[in-house]
Amino acid sequence: MAMAAIDTSFLNDSSGLAKEEAPAHSQMGLRLGDLQTLAMAPVASPSTFCVDMKASGEAPGLMDFKHGTTTLGFVFQGGIIIAVDSRASMGSYIGSQTVKKVIEINDFLLGTMAGGAADCSYWERHLAQMCRMYELRHKERISVAAASKLLCNIFFNYRGRGLSCGTMVAGWDKHGPSLYMVDDRGDRFKGQRFSVGSGSTFAYGVLDTGYKYDLSVEDAVELGRRAIYHATHRDGASGGVVRVYHVHEKGWTKVIAGEDVNELHYMYAAQKGMTGIE
Amino acid sequence: MSGIMNYNGSAIVAMAGEKCVAIAADTRYGIRELQTVSCQRQKIFQLTNKTFVGLAGLATDVQTMASKLEFSLKLFELREERVMQPKTIGNMISHTLYQSRFGPWLTEPVVAGLDSAGDPFMCAFDFIGAMSQAKDFVVSGTSSEQLFGVCESFWRPNMDKDELFETISQCLLSAVDRDCLAGWGGVVHVITEDQIITKRLKGRMD
Amino acid sequence: MRWALCRGSTGPAQSLAVGPLFAECTPPARHRAMVEMPTLTQTQGSLGREVPARVRRVRAGLGAMGESEYSFSLTTFAPSGKLLQIEYALNCVAEGRPALGIKAKNGVVLATEKKMASVLIEDTSVQKVENLSDSVGLVYAGLPPDFRPLLKKGRKEAQMYFTQYREQIPTSQIVRKMAAIMQESTQQGGVRPFGVSLLMAGYDENGPQLFQVDPSGSYFGWKASAIGKNHVNAKSFLEKRFTEDIELEDAIHTAILTLKEGFEEAITAENIEIGVVGEDRKFRVLTPAEVQDYLGEVE
Repeated sequence: MAMAAIDTSFLNDSSGLAKEEAPAHSQMGLRLGDLQTLAMAPVASPSTFCVDMKASGEAPGLMDFKHGTTTLGFVFQGGIIIAVDSRASMGSYIGSQTVKKVIEINDFLLGTMAGGAADCSYWERHLAQMCRMYELRHKERISVAAASKLLCNIFFNYRGRGLSCGTMVAGWDKHGPSLYMVDDRGDRFKGQRFSVGSGSTFAYGVLDTGYKYDLSVEDAVELGRRAIYHATHRDGASGGVVRVYHVHEKGWTKVIAGEDVNELHYMYAAQKGMTGIE
Repeated sequence: MSGIMNYNGSAIVAMAGEKCVAIAADTRYGIRELQTVSCQRQKIFQLTNKTFVGLAGLATDVQTMASKLEFSLKLFELREERVMQPKTIGNMISHTLYQSRFGPWLTEPVVAGLDSAGDPFMCAFDFIGAMSQAKDFVVSGTSSEQLFGVCESFWRPNMDKDELFETISQCLLSAVDRDCLAGWGGVVHVITEDQIITKRLKGRMD
Repeated sequence: MRWALCRGSTGPAQSLAVGPLFAECTPPARHRAMVEMPTLTQTQGSLGREVPARVRRVRAGLGAMGESEYSFSLTTFAPSGKLLQIEYALNCVAEGRPALGIKAKNGVVLATEKKMASVLIEDTSVQKVENLSDSVGLVYAGLPPDFRPLLKKGRKEAQMYFTQYREQIPTSQIVRKMAAIMQESTQQGGVRPFGVSLLMAGYDENGPQLFQVDPSGSYFGWKASAIGKNHVNAKSFLEKRFTEDIELEDAIHTAILTLKEGFEEAITAENIEIGVVGEDRKFRVLTPAEVQDYLGEVE
């Protein structure tokens, strides 16, 4: 593939922008009109335009949507805890400390965002639409398994086109609580504990140490909060505030709307008899 | 900036006041850019009783360069029986960095001190020794854009040592709050004609 | 090479030439002697090696000269503790044209006699007082050719200091560097000491300064000093004339008078040379016209 010379003359004449061919997921009885047809760059290989642009080096930084994050979710006796940080970074620059990384898909479903903010929020909003369509058609709520698979199928369709998403779908359906991790490569895993993002290794450390299935809701919330805090301390790309959600039989509850991790730092330090600046 | 200059992360700023000068740095020690390993990394080094140097950049080169400068300064003082003036220290650093033009030290120093007349002297360098002097403030490190922004807004001429401390501290803390690679606490040295005031800053720890 | 061992022993250092003894050797050996001269110290008997029979013979012939058998190498001490080559170098300096320096309250003056060996020599082609840096100058007594590499090295040192620190090298520091250069050639193999003494004048943070550096590499700060021929007389003249609060202008007059004392013929603007450094910290060699004016003042 000739990556070196991508014809970008279309940038001066937007009338040349093509519409993408109907994506495969719209063939699955979930067509949603024009919404899901995205404009394509009129180049030799439109589907790999983003990846090619990045590889060409012609627009440094342009396709670097990725941002650092720490998100986590785990299943326990009381349902599911979802905890996230709130930092949006662009390279090493901190764009925002108050981002909302939990997307409320519907009253019983939550999605988390890690990776490209635009990709995650767009496709999870799209997922919300599809879930609502399913409800209207089937007169019952979509299962977590089905919802996560819809998202997974979208990612699979766009595989190799430069999407950047690492998401968790958590919810309560007729089978009880379930937690899935779905990413931009089309991977989809069901599991008890997940953490996604640049701070995930730190969060896993705390999560794996403190996790028990029998945790009380209060202790589970604290575990999520503590895991996110530790990740924000050690990971440069995570920070801001902790937000914690609890998914239970009646849907989800926002337990911690936003608690500054800096205050948590000095609080946890004091608990250990430390000043917090050592 | 090249990747290796972001590897450990740093924010360094020096600011002039009336017959006083201050230099401040964050204390984060990161590796592989994002992983915070320590909140106690020293980035400012005292070279003479009136001159400090702040070294941003790759931690290993920062430490080696600090030793090298201390060595040079001590040898100079023994040989010439006088204290090197901040301007001369600046010139020497510039020369030292350029000596390694084709295998450079990956550090961008900032010099701040009071000269023999008690007036502030400040300068900053790129990593191969191009010196830039300023009368108001100089910055270096991964947060330099942010530092330029805040310093440009908050610096005022003829600040006394207390105003200077307050200004440089706020500038540093605000700047590192917009940088993933710096922060986690800070340290400020205010150099006046008769004392050196050193204070640690409590910053955001994320 | 062994011929060098029995070189004339009392002459000044520069006469290290393989000289009179060549008569005793066969032509091929002489050739070898000249080529291998630099490695002379490696085969010296005093290092505890077996001394070849011929050398022993030669030494025996000169045995009456006592210490002189240690004079072949400047890196070898005589039993008395002297380094004879260095003393010979001083003798050489004492035979050179006189030079003197006076540190005044507000500057330093250096002056030297510049008498030519022949009236046919263009005196404008000879310069004995030179700048090392903007603020430091020097004059020498001794061998002119030995002075040139010293001057070159000194200027380079001053310039290297400037490129490193972007500030003029202090007088004391360039003096130290020059002394170090001169000391080096009292301890290395295959070299001889410089056949010059230097008077160095500078003005810096520490005010006006005058230093004398000798072939051994030793140096001292002076209020006034003289080197070269008649330096003993010149010094006692200076001792009488010198005062702590002397002004630069008066010091220049005194310098001329001191030179005059030892001068065998009429002193002119062409046969002496004067360098001054004042509060402007610029060392400058006076033009013959300026020297003429001063000569007029002292007469």
